[in-house]
Amino acid sequence: MQNLIEGAALVAAPDVLVAILASAIYGLVIGALPGLTATMATALLVPVTFYLSPIAAVATIITASAMAIFSGDIPGCLLRIPGTPASAAYTDEAYAMTRKGQAETALGICLWFSALGGIFGTLALMVVAPALAEIALSFSTFEYFWMALLGLMCATLVARSSPVKAIAAMLIGLLIACIGMENPAGTPRFTFGLSDLLGGVEVIPALVGVFAVAQVMRALLMPEPPPLPRRRFGSILAGQWGLTRRYPKQLMRGNTIGVIVGVLPGAGADMAAWISYATSKKFSKEQAKYGTGHPEGLVESGAANNSAVASSWVPALLFGIPGDTITAIAIGVLYMKGLNPGPTLFTENASSMYALYLIFILANIIMIPFGIMMIRTSTLVLRAPRAAVMPVILLLCAVGAYAIGNNPFAVLLVALFGCLGFVMERNGYPVAAMVLGIVMGSMVEQSFVSSLIKSDGSLLPFVERPISGLLAALTFTALLWPVGVWVVQRLRGRRLRPSGAAE
Amino acid sequence: MQTLSRRTLFGAAAGLGAASLARPALAQARWPARPVTMICPWAAGGGTDAVLRIIAAGLERELGQPFNVVNRTGGNGVVGHAAIASAQPDGYTLGMLTSEICMLHWQGLTQITYRDYTPLALVNFDPAGVQVNANSPWQTIQQCADAIKASRPGQLKASGTGQGGIWHLALGGWLVAMGLRPDHVRWVPSTGAAPAMQDLAAGGLDLTTNSVVEARAMLDAGRARSLVVMGPQRLAVWPDIPTLKESLNLDWTAGAWRGIAGPRNLPQEVQDAMSGALKRVYEGNEYKEFMNARGFGLLWGDAQGFARHLEEQDRSLGEAMRAAGLARA
Amino acid sequence: MRLSDRVSGAALVALGGLAAWGGSRLPAVPGQDVGPAVFPMLIGFGLIACGLMIALGVGHAFEAPEEEGGGRSWWHGLWALLPPALLVLYMLLAERIGFLLMAAAMVLVVALAFGARLRLALPLAVLAPLAVHLVFYRLLRVPLPEGLLAAPW
Repeated sequence: MQNLIEGAALVAAPDVLVAILASAIYGLVIGALPGLTATMATALLVPVTFYLSPIAAVATIITASAMAIFSGDIPGCLLRIPGTPASAAYTDEAYAMTRKGQAETALGICLWFSALGGIFGTLALMVVAPALAEIALSFSTFEYFWMALLGLMCATLVARSSPVKAIAAMLIGLLIACIGMENPAGTPRFTFGLSDLLGGVEVIPALVGVFAVAQVMRALLMPEPPPLPRRRFGSILAGQWGLTRRYPKQLMRGNTIGVIVGVLPGAGADMAAWISYATSKKFSKEQAKYGTGHPEGLVESGAANNSAVASSWVPALLFGIPGDTITAIAIGVLYMKGLNPGPTLFTENASSMYALYLIFILANIIMIPFGIMMIRTSTLVLRAPRAAVMPVILLLCAVGAYAIGNNPFAVLLVALFGCLGFVMERNGYPVAAMVLGIVMGSMVEQSFVSSLIKSDGSLLPFVERPISGLLAALTFTALLWPVGVWVVQRLRGRRLRPSGAAE
Repeated sequence: MQTLSRRTLFGAAAGLGAASLARPALAQARWPARPVTMICPWAAGGGTDAVLRIIAAGLERELGQPFNVVNRTGGNGVVGHAAIASAQPDGYTLGMLTSEICMLHWQGLTQITYRDYTPLALVNFDPAGVQVNANSPWQTIQQCADAIKASRPGQLKASGTGQGGIWHLALGGWLVAMGLRPDHVRWVPSTGAAPAMQDLAAGGLDLTTNSVVEARAMLDAGRARSLVVMGPQRLAVWPDIPTLKESLNLDWTAGAWRGIAGPRNLPQEVQDAMSGALKRVYEGNEYKEFMNARGFGLLWGDAQGFARHLEEQDRSLGEAMRAAGLARA
Repeated sequence: MRLSDRVSGAALVALGGLAAWGGSRLPAVPGQDVGPAVFPMLIGFGLIACGLMIALGVGHAFEAPEEEGGGRSWWHGLWALLPPALLVLYMLLAERIGFLLMAAAMVLVVALAFGARLRLALPLAVLAPLAVHLVFYRLLRVPLPEGLLAAPW
């Protein structure tokens, strides 16, 4: 209790509060720009933290990353351009809601359930951190292999398309992930002699290309869509309480999946969003509505990616092991500021520890008013003429891609991915599945090859270890799922599926 | 903050201008007459980025002009290293070299070698260590070495980085120094030191050979033990860990290092000004405190020292890569 | 670029074949039973299988019925290549002529392509690059090339 009060006093310091407010706005803006991710928002903050007190320094990183993950939903919802990879899983769903004239509800869901997920993740961080960390530490490459494979299985579920095409798109993503020398053998593959390809293809240029550039390309060919009903933009939070009461199970499931996936080092908010969206669809009573602007999946995955942001700090704080790229940066800052991660942080620096928790909760609470302001501002683009919005988006694509590594090659990649995404989309290949393949590709191969080396070529440990065996069973269920559906579909005869994708 | 960003801004602009336009009017002024760009071949937020930024801040104070860090990532460090080598040798584009510059060309991944640079100073060296799980029966490096010698080839598994990475070479060189084949302990590639340490803690590996600083979190958490450092002397932060020389009487050293350099044929004036300023930055309290807080190893080499270090590293890493069958060039 | 499932399926078979062939030529690595060749080959065979199934129409029933994008002539479709082409131009020219001019040209062309009047396109082409420059250069410290025209700040 003493520690809690001391922690609160640390957070209440004026410099900490100013840091939280400033980094909140900063995170919201960065997350909403296509191509600029939560990771980048935090990386750019590092030089600023040199000049801040320890608590203020960590506060900027916590606040900015939480805000950026939420605000990545905004352009996804309004323009079908996810701002961060963590939003890519449900971008189509949110955009479909916007086309149905429910933009405020969709954005409200993203905001409200992001905040709830974030707070839940923080509570998990406070209460069960040591136990969770223990589980995470027992994850060896065998378990990671099944986790990654399970993630790939989501490909057929996230897309509203033919499962065969979804798998094909995912395989294309996996093939792209093969490029470079970041593979277990350290051998350059498919680099065509270009040194720019040695490090592989990063997710961000792919994401910007297949979503943003392809969207501009599509818009060029299509006549201006019928304008959305011109009316006052409704309340953002209205109805959210109703949705919370309607989907409590989905919310809790999203929270839990987010916490579990976030705790695992190497699997962050992106993966949490994919898995929880797929889970939500699979267990829903109204599966046919998915992809047509149905709030259920948004509730679950919106909560999941933000709870993952909080819980990825568990291994970071307890063992100094990064849960994702954001916490990797944060660990550096913690060391620099003398708050060395590890069990001692909990005993010797308990008040700082509580201060961190309070900052998490504070960040998720101020997310709501700040988020509403951000949403209000950005919905202006819905009313702006297309001829004014699209050129700016293309410009942001070019600069955002360049900004990742100050490498002009990324701009070329964005252009190529734009063409690829455009062609795939036109022919019914879900681009989200391809992005999933790029995200997960190296993890599958890395964990498989490492595991085989460790077991001297034996496949037995893949199913022998308890957690590994459980994950294997789950994976095989998911694997046989589309086949089963297809058989049932065939047996029942080709029933007309409800048409609805309003795009 | 206001003044800082303004200065940074002019810096980046002028730095880029310098690459394309000759500015005869400015050429006569004493160096540095305008902001200097420092290229970091690795991403913002990483260890190299952090070290370079703290040095840049120090240089800015010493030399009175902004030193702007620009991350040029891609190609496993090839892109950024190439950008330093191919910059105008006018002193307005410098950068940080990392161990990879003495490895990439042996793998046939680039034509650039250490000879394409003007070395200015070596500022950091993180020696490889040997880490084992806290429950491992090996308490000392002697026990570990005996167990390795007694094991079947390929029976024991080690990790720390990807195939052919610096820590893989550290292991191979150590095994060769003990009179064994470089692949006597089998290498399990990982995506970095952190996942390898996690796998060590999860009981999936027998040992890791990444640097001690990268193992720090697991050491502090009581999940792992560090038995030895493969450096010339013990580390200041971990004085209890013996060196290979004093424990096993082996001469093998290996580690990741970072240094400041510019393109080849840097003017003498720039070299003189930089070596003085870098020495003062290195000896300053801020740098020492930062490096100790992060656990990074301190090792100083002036321009000649860094040049010798580069030559020596290039040779020994090349030999280790050939021995392990990793060299392609 | 609407292709029939036969064509896109055949393209996937070709891609899969290339991936498997390219993968099979990768050298083995000592100490690794599953070398760098295995995954590209697996993916390649997977793509070939998917391509064949798509060409044969398996799983087509799952696809949402597509709306027709107005049956205009094929060259109208080439318009879609304008944005990537502009990005490539940006990559090639931005260093030389500078961010502000290049960005202004890009915005102007795209705005006009979307049918904007000059009254909208011209102010947009001046203001948007300045605003983007301000945010990226000052706030995010991205070194945007100066080229022929430097920013006023």
